[in-house]
Amino acid sequence: MSAAEIADIELVGVTKSYGGNVVVVDNVSLTVPRGEFVSILGPSGCGKTTTLNMIAGFHEPSSGEIRIRGRNQVGVPPEKRNIGLVFQNYALFPHMTVQENVAFGPKMKGQSKSETEEAVRSALKSVRLEGYESRYPKELSGGQQQRTALARAIAPRPSVLLLDEPLSNLDLKLREAMRIELKEVQQQLGMTFVYVTHDQEEAMSMSDRVVVMSDGVVAQEGRPSEIYQNPVSAFVADFIGKSNLLPVKQARDHDGRLTLTLGGGLSLVSERSGDIPANDITLCCIRPENVQLARKGASGENLLTGRVDKLVNLGAHAELWVDVSKDCLLKVQVPVRRLQGIEIGSHVDLLIESAAIQPLAH
Amino acid sequence: MRLGGTMPSLRGYVPLIPPVTILMMFFALPMGMMIGLSFQDGDTGSFSLTSYERFFTDDLALDGFFRTIVMSGLVAVCVTVMSYPIAYFLARSTSRWRAVVFALAIAPELAGVVLRTYGWLIILEDQGFVNDLVIQLGLIDRPLPLSHNMFGVVVGLTHVLLPFGILSLLTNIQGIDPNLEKSAQILGASRLSVLRHIILPLSVPGIVSSLLIAFTLAASAYATPALLGGIKFSVLATMIYQQVLFYINWPYAAVMANVLLVIVLAIAFTGARLESRLNSKLHVR
Ligand SMILES: Nc1ncnc2c1ncn2[C@@H]1O[C@H](COP(=O)(O)OP(=O)(O)OP(=O)(O)O)[C@@H](O)[C@H]1O
Ligand SMILES: [Mg+2]
Repeated sequence: MSAAEIADIELVGVTKSYGGNVVVVDNVSLTVPRGEFVSILGPSGCGKTTTLNMIAGFHEPSSGEIRIRGRNQVGVPPEKRNIGLVFQNYALFPHMTVQENVAFGPKMKGQSKSETEEAVRSALKSVRLEGYESRYPKELSGGQQQRTALARAIAPRPSVLLLDEPLSNLDLKLREAMRIELKEVQQQLGMTFVYVTHDQEEAMSMSDRVVVMSDGVVAQEGRPSEIYQNPVSAFVADFIGKSNLLPVKQARDHDGRLTLTLGGGLSLVSERSGDIPANDITLCCIRPENVQLARKGASGENLLTGRVDKLVNLGAHAELWVDVSKDCLLKVQVPVRRLQGIEIGSHVDLLIESAAIQPLAH
Repeated sequence: MRLGGTMPSLRGYVPLIPPVTILMMFFALPMGMMIGLSFQDGDTGSFSLTSYERFFTDDLALDGFFRTIVMSGLVAVCVTVMSYPIAYFLARSTSRWRAVVFALAIAPELAGVVLRTYGWLIILEDQGFVNDLVIQLGLIDRPLPLSHNMFGVVVGLTHVLLPFGILSLLTNIQGIDPNLEKSAQILGASRLSVLRHIILPLSVPGIVSSLLIAFTLAASAYATPALLGGIKFSVLATMIYQQVLFYINWPYAAVMANVLLVIVLAIAFTGARLESRLNSKLHVR
């Protein structure tokens, strides 16, 4: 078995409930292979931190099993789990210098003085924070504190690093720069990262795999592009990126091609019959960038006509809300150069590729 | 905060008149009178240093002086050591017992000092609860010296002052981010190491203020040393009382009161300096 095939973390049917009936994490199963960058993505309160706390050992699961490198972790205290953890508020020790903060882990793990010094040096080098060793946390900027927290967590060489929304206290520019750096550090160390966030861009841009959570359950799991292109539910489609979610009145299957009847006499053809039986289809998801402006007089399937209701110019592209039927506004993303002659009130023809229409059951 | 410190006109000072008047009447005035009194000759009322001379050459008085310091120091340490785990529990616990413990810790403050001291007397006396029990059990045949000595007084005062220690430590520990403990733990620190390397250093300001409050309140306590200490246990507070009531030597009593004041102020001043230095160094929220 190669190193990549050994699962660093396995959650098997993990459930956490409080007071017997408040289920916060519900039957979550998850496998994180060694060296992978996995994001747990979900809205506030969906149980991300609780899941992380169980992996770290601060909470015991109510049922289910957590394995780290194949070993069951029930009853193993956090200090024995060989895990790193970065908090949203960094939680740097205020009475210790950067050097002392980063040295804390190796020291507690019983490493010698020279080993500790080497570990600190290499951790600070990884996060490009050399020269700040003697500063106290309060003498650092937010970004530098962030790096110190990261250095402190990786210095003892944990098998897994857990990060709980580590970038959410930084401003947008810094956050975007840190995304790239975090990913670089992860690749350079080959360390397994479990990254918790509610920011879908963050999850999409860094992760090898994304686990979307909703109300304590895993809603979908997969590569970022997979999740973006094939959301399995309206929740995922809506949470990840922009989407049009249109109610489907009736769906009929013709040899793998679906005819979807929408409200207002509209009907669309989808090439993705997928796994959902035609009778269960209640919605379809169309990404705004998959709706194109058609040439005048074009003909064919999935051709819609509508009136531009709203127009927002976002610089490189523009967003149109097009009134395609009585109660159906379609969000459309078009390059700004195609905007000539289009203004609020103009009539436009829209074309949707049949492969870009994703039928959904819920 | 500088009240009215930057106000251009005197009108800004008007709101200060009532509090300043009250402070003058009830605080500065009696204090000034007391200081004046200590420099008076008992008979003639003229300026004299005889009372001070007497105090610093009288072995009994100096005994009381040192006993005050030792007693207050012991009480300060006992209060702080006992408050610490309680305050830590109160700061961190989410259990339903938290409210109960909090009530138990603070409620004694509602019963008066005298009442609680009598309670301890009943427990610690020669014919008290503890001695009765151990004698009945046949463990010893003569009562243990639990009251009318330093031990009894320190026990009584520690109990009386415990809530002050708990409250000052509680404020401090609540300000320490629990994530610091979690971070230390996940970095491999045992419970004991977390306590030693993280929580204790960060709660030094709370420890200092607990020591400070307990010391100053113990040094000026009267009822507990008088009741639990007995006649022979003299500290500055009981000595002052005797001078006023039995010897009617006001200037001498004033000298002792001033000595007590100086001890308390000196401790409070150093403690406060230390605390603010530590606070700014640690930058604990
Ligand atoms: N001790 C507790 N008792 C009962 N409910 C709890 C307890 N701790 C957390 N919860 C609940 O569990 C749910 C999940 O909390 P959690 O902190 O895991 O959310 P999260 O996904 O990390 O959210 P956020 O993005 O806001 O950090 C919340 O609804 C919260 O109210
Ligand atoms: Mg959270």
